[in-house]
Amino acid sequence: MRVIDRREVFLSAAALSLIGARAFAQSGAEVPVGVIYPLSGANAQIGVDARHALETAADIVNKSFDLDLPTAKNAGLAGLGGAKIKLIFADHQGDPQKGRAEAERLITQDKVVAIVGAFHSSVSATASVTCERYGIPYVTADSSSPSLHKRGLKFFFRTTAHDEMFSIAMFEFLDAQRKAGRKIDTLGLFFEDTIFGTDSSNVQRKLAAERGYKVVVDIKYKSNSPSLTAEVQQIKTANPDVLLPSSYTTDAILLMKTMDELGYKPKNIVAQAAGFSDKAFFDAVGDKAVGLISRASFSLDMAQKRPSILKVNEMFKARAGRDLNDNTSRQLMAVLVLADAIDRARSTDGEKIRDALATTEIPGNRTIMPWKRVKFGADGQNVDADPVLIQYVGGQFVTVYPAAVAVAEPLWPMNT
Amino acid sequence: MTSAQPFLQVLASGLAMGLIYALIAVGLSLIFGLMDVVNFAHGEFLMLAMYATFGLFFETALDPIVLAPLVVAIMFVLGISVYAGVVRYAMRAKTNPGMVQIFATFGLAILIQGLAQYFFTPDYRSIPNTWLGGKTLNLGGVFLPWPQIYGGAISLATFLGLYLLISRTDFGKALEATREDQGAVALVGIDRNRIFALGWGLGAALVGLAGAVLAIFYYIHPNVGGTFALVAYVTVALGGFGSIFGALVAGIIVGVVEALTTLILPPALKSVGIFTLYLGVLFIRPSGLLGRL
Repeated sequence: MRVIDRREVFLSAAALSLIGARAFAQSGAEVPVGVIYPLSGANAQIGVDARHALETAADIVNKSFDLDLPTAKNAGLAGLGGAKIKLIFADHQGDPQKGRAEAERLITQDKVVAIVGAFHSSVSATASVTCERYGIPYVTADSSSPSLHKRGLKFFFRTTAHDEMFSIAMFEFLDAQRKAGRKIDTLGLFFEDTIFGTDSSNVQRKLAAERGYKVVVDIKYKSNSPSLTAEVQQIKTANPDVLLPSSYTTDAILLMKTMDELGYKPKNIVAQAAGFSDKAFFDAVGDKAVGLISRASFSLDMAQKRPSILKVNEMFKARAGRDLNDNTSRQLMAVLVLADAIDRARSTDGEKIRDALATTEIPGNRTIMPWKRVKFGADGQNVDADPVLIQYVGGQFVTVYPAAVAVAEPLWPMNT
Repeated sequence: MTSAQPFLQVLASGLAMGLIYALIAVGLSLIFGLMDVVNFAHGEFLMLAMYATFGLFFETALDPIVLAPLVVAIMFVLGISVYAGVVRYAMRAKTNPGMVQIFATFGLAILIQGLAQYFFTPDYRSIPNTWLGGKTLNLGGVFLPWPQIYGGAISLATFLGLYLLISRTDFGKALEATREDQGAVALVGIDRNRIFALGWGLGAALVGLAGAVLAIFYYIHPNVGGTFALVAYVTVALGGFGSIFGALVAGIIVGVVEALTTLILPPALKSVGIFTLYLGVLFIRPSGLLGRL
C-alpha cells in the first residue's frame, strides 16, 4: 500500500476547498437539486412523466406566475437573491442499489443541495440513507411505504400520505359502505413482492383484523411475471367481496387481462393506486376496469376547491401531452415544498434547508392537493396529507370519498 | 365447481404458456446449436417483433394473425442483418471469442432497448379489438383464452415445420452438417457464413412469430423482452443447448412446473420450482434433457 504524504493531503485539501468555493460562488445563480426516478426500465413511463411534472414545478419556481402556490409569484428564490433551481436528473431503473449509487453521485459530483425521488419505495429506502450520511435533505413525493418515515432519519421528508394513511382511508370507506347496508365480509389481498406491496399488505392485513373483515385470499406474487393465471385462479376460487391489489403498472394490466380471460368479474376492487392510477393502465384495460376504485392524492375534479389546479394542469399538459395524475401532481408539489424551504433557509446548506423543511407550514389551498396542509412531524411525515378515493367510471375518475370532497356516489358493486 | 377445477385450470394454463415459452426459446436454441453463440439480445428481438406487430396493426388495421407472416419476414431480415453487422465481426476475435460474442450481443440488447424507449416511448401498448383478443373458451369451468390456444397451436405447427425443414430439405441438412463440423462443410462446398446468416435469420424469424402471438394478449413495452428472456434461457438450458426439440419439451415443462408451483408455494416463489428442476436436471444430465453429451 502506498502511504499518502503530507504534501498530497495538503494539495487535495486545497483542491477540495477550491471546488467548495466555486460551488458557493455559483449558488447565487443556480441551486442544483437532484432528482432520482426510473427513467428507463419497466417503470420508465413513470419517470418520463415525473420529469415533465418536476420541470413544470421548476418553471413555477424560476419564472413569475400569478398562482397562489409557494415561490410562484416572483422569478427564482427571493431568499437567495432570485437564484433559480436547476434540476439534475438521475436514473435508478427501479433498482435500490442504483438509487443509492446515483444519490451518492448527485451529492458528491453534482453538489446538489437536496434530492427528490423516487417513486419506488425500495429506492427511497436506500437513497434517503445516503442523503442522511451526507447531511442532505431527501424529499419523497410519492414513495408510500409506511416503514420509510419510521427509521429515525433526520433528513427524510415525505409530503404525501403513506400507505397506512391510504389504507385507513380505504377501510373507512369500506366501513361506510357496510353502514349503508352493503355486504362486505371478505377481502382479498394481492400484492407485489417488493417493499411497496409487502408493506401495503401488512397494513391491510392488520386493519382487516381490527375491523372485522375476513381475508380469504392473500397472495404475494412475483412482479413483472410473464403470467398471472395461477394467481388469478386463486382469487377467483376465493371470490372475495373486495379485492385490494397493490401493483405497479405492468402487473396491474396483466391482472385485469387475466381476470377477464378466466371469466372472472371481481365484485369490487379498491386499489392501492400505483399502477391502477396510471394512464397507461386505463389505455390498455380501461374497458375492464369500469367501477375500479383507487386511493389517490389527486383528482382533477377538485379544481373548484383548489383553483391553481387548472392552470398548473395546463402547463403540465403542454409538456407531457396528458393531464396531471396521482403521481405527477405529488411530484410537482414536492418540488414546490422543497423550493419554499430553500427560499426560507436563505442558504444552500443541507442542515439549514433541513431545518427550514422541518418548520414548513403551507395551507392546503396553497397546494394543488386535497391536503389540509403541509406540515411535517418530527419523523418527517406530512401528517395532514389527507387521501381521497377516486372511481374510474369510464373515461375519467371521479372523487367518491371522503364525503367532504366527493363529487359523486360510488358505483357499488363494480360487477354483480 | 369441483375441487379439481382450480388444479385443471392451472395445469391447462401452464401447458398453453409452456408451448409459447417453447416457441420463444427455440430460436435461441437454434442459433446456439449452430454456432455456439448465446444471443443475449433474444428478448429484445421478441420486443421488436411485438412492436412490429403493433406498428403494422396501427398502419394497416389488419389482424395480428394476418400480419404474422409479415412480422416473421421482417425479423428474418433483421436476424440476417444482426449476423452480418455484429456477430460476424464478434466471431473474428482472436482471443476469448466467446466473451466477445457475449458482450457484443449484450451490448446490442442494451442498444435496442434504449432505441426502443426513445422511438417508441416507454408507454405500455396493447392491441385492441383483435379477432381472438379477450375471447375465452370455457371447457366445463376451465377457461382457456383463445389467443393462448392459438399460440399453442402455432407453436406445435412451428415445431413440425422445423422438423420437416431439418430432415427433408437441403438447407436443413446443411444446417445440421454445419453444427456437426464447421470445417468439414467448407470442404463439400457449403458457405459457412451463408448458413450462419440464414441460421440467424431463422432464429429471429421464430422469435418474431412468438412476438406476433404474444402481441395479441400481452402488453408491449421496451422492457418486455426481459420478462420472457429469462424463461427462454432456462428453457434452452433445461432442454439442452442447441436441441430444438429439447426446447419444446423444456418449454412445456417450464410452463407447467411454474404454474403448479403456485399450488404448493406462495406465488412470489414460482420461479423456484423451475430452477429447482433445472438444478436437478443439471445434476443428472448436465447437458440438458435432450442435449448431446
